Amino acid sequence: MHRGKGMKFVGDSRVPATRMPNIPKDYSEYPHKTEAFWPNFLLREWMVGAVFLIGYLCLTIAHPSPLERVADPNDSGYIPLPDWYFLFLYQLLKYEFAAGAYTVIGAVVMPGIAFGALLLAPWLDNGVERRPLRRPIASALMMLGIVSIIFLTWESVDQHDWEAAARQGAIVEDVEIDESSEGYEIYMSQQACIGCHGDQGEGGAAGPNIFENDYDAEDYAEIIRNGQGEMPGDQFDGSDEELEILAEWIANDGQDAE
Amino acid sequence: MSEKEHKVSRRQFLTYTLTGVGGFMAAGMLMPMARFALDPALQAGGDTDFIRVTSVDDLTEEPQRFNFTIEQEDAWYTSDVDRVAWVYREGDEIVALSPVCTHLGCTVNWEGNEDYPEQFYCPCHFGRFEKDGTNVPNTPPTRPLDVYEMEIRDGDLYLGRTVQR
Amino acid sequence: MLQKIYDWVDERLDITPMWRDIADHEVPEHVNPAHHFSAFVYCFGGLTFFVTVIQILSGMFLAMYYVPDIVNAYESVYYLQNEVTFGVIVRGMHHWGASLVIVMMFLHTLRVFFTGSYKKPRELNWVVGVLIFFVMLGLGFTGYLLPWDMKAYFATVVGLEIAEAVPVVGTFAKTLLAGGEIIGAQTLTRFYAIHVFFLPGALLGLLGAHFYMIRKQGISGPL
Repeated sequence: MHRGKGMKFVGDSRVPATRMPNIPKDYSEYPHKTEAFWPNFLLREWMVGAVFLIGYLCLTIAHPSPLERVADPNDSGYIPLPDWYFLFLYQLLKYEFAAGAYTVIGAVVMPGIAFGALLLAPWLDNGVERRPLRRPIASALMMLGIVSIIFLTWESVDQHDWEAAARQGAIVEDVEIDESSEGYEIYMSQQACIGCHGDQGEGGAAGPNIFENDYDAEDYAEIIRNGQGEMPGDQFDGSDEELEILAEWIANDGQDAE
Repeated sequence: MSEKEHKVSRRQFLTYTLTGVGGFMAAGMLMPMARFALDPALQAGGDTDFIRVTSVDDLTEEPQRFNFTIEQEDAWYTSDVDRVAWVYREGDEIVALSPVCTHLGCTVNWEGNEDYPEQFYCPCHFGRFEKDGTNVPNTPPTRPLDVYEMEIRDGDLYLGRTVQR
Repeated sequence: MLQKIYDWVDERLDITPMWRDIADHEVPEHVNPAHHFSAFVYCFGGLTFFVTVIQILSGMFLAMYYVPDIVNAYESVYYLQNEVTFGVIVRGMHHWGASLVIVMMFLHTLRVFFTGSYKKPRELNWVVGVLIFFVMLGLGFTGYLLPWDMKAYFATVVGLEIAEAVPVVGTFAKTLLAGGEIIGAQTLTRFYAIHVFFLPGALLGLLGAHFYMIRKQGISGPL
């Protein structure tokens, strides 16, 4: 490159007047089989990227992103679950050594040590050896970390009641129930009903929305008497007459029968 | 005079001044913004009114779930919020427990699990509480359920805000 | 014609050296899957960046419809997903991309770890990389609340309770993040600001540093 005296510039600017030739570097004589980033290597990268993108788009089309019903801070029966990559942390807090008086250990100390060690890895493992088998301690600790994350995530997924989760988050049509109706009064007097189905019959983690099925009054009376699925029978402690009114009320979407 | 005889050289002086002015500008810009962002954390919590929940006569020895509605002010957004209390009577005493699990804020249910009768049960991390709200040892919660402040007027039970025990 | 435009700009701004510098850096044989198939493990960093670009773009477009307000947030997400043409795809890209970016980053981290590439002189780049990891987790956590549906709300309740478990500063940190004692209107606007401005700003800075250091130091040699 030209330096010092005699340099020429474009107009009164600081841009040199001599052009650098726009030709790629010649890699043919370099030792080893290196190649240029542009366009040789980048083309390969983009081919991988294109295949990846196809898979990605197929995923988005095959599985629309989930959306539950609008947040209702009053729904006290909802069992929450964080996004999957936080599950291991959430699961950790279930164990005795990381919960109760030791919540600090589960919530702060253990993740703190793990992520702190990750951040400081170059100083904790400061030997010159790079092969994983030649630095067994570092490799073993990393494997331990990976295995425990996979295990905790697995356990968490395993313990979660996915059916209940799908039910509790499902978008349900609003049912306008008549709170002055006789049926509602009977419903509200039954602790066993409200406990699982909520005080509007809207359902929750433990039981479904009572209005979501299209049974008739007799079926409802039958279900209340004998139970169904996980719902136990014989929970209703009113008279048979009241039970009939209640069943009518449910079949009528929360209105008393005419 | 050569530069060395100065305690502070001209270049150093200019650098210090530059840093000072830069620091002033950064502080001047960021201080209002920082206080702005911190505001909610520094505000004192407001008082809550007492709300009528039920008649004292309706209470039993068994904890019952009562819903009541309070008006909650969330900055520019005022809304009616349902609150839940587990209330029971112990002789002459009335106990009103908050259903919020002291572990991670899920909601507990009286006898929420068939394996643990006579206990409050939290489905999230399987925390349990005795009837009086004390946490069962060796389950995740670290302290008893909160209790509601209460008043009894004319035979009616009024609940206020929750207090930690 | 294009050549003439290029020459015209190049004469005035001397742009050839800038991009030739990027184009002409050499990529060693051992990271090239064309020579050793096992070198595909070196792709994960690039794919992480690819998904990040998709996240930024799809996020910008989602913001055309989304309203960060507890009354309308859910409605706007519901609308853009169900009423807007391709809304289900754009939101799907952002939703699944959030997971993919974590997966790819995790694999990239493992590759760097098990090839020992974080050792001298590349310590600082490892630290920047781990910081990027934290920022990504933060983006995941704050983004999860924005649709304001049931799982979003209650996951945030639990997340903030975990933050509260931190000794001494926990309660303060929780109130600061939630914008008050209630998880509600102010929490949503805060998470929105953090998700859309603060963390992406930090992310871009860190990514710039990450790439600059790779370029300066080169890819670590073969094992």
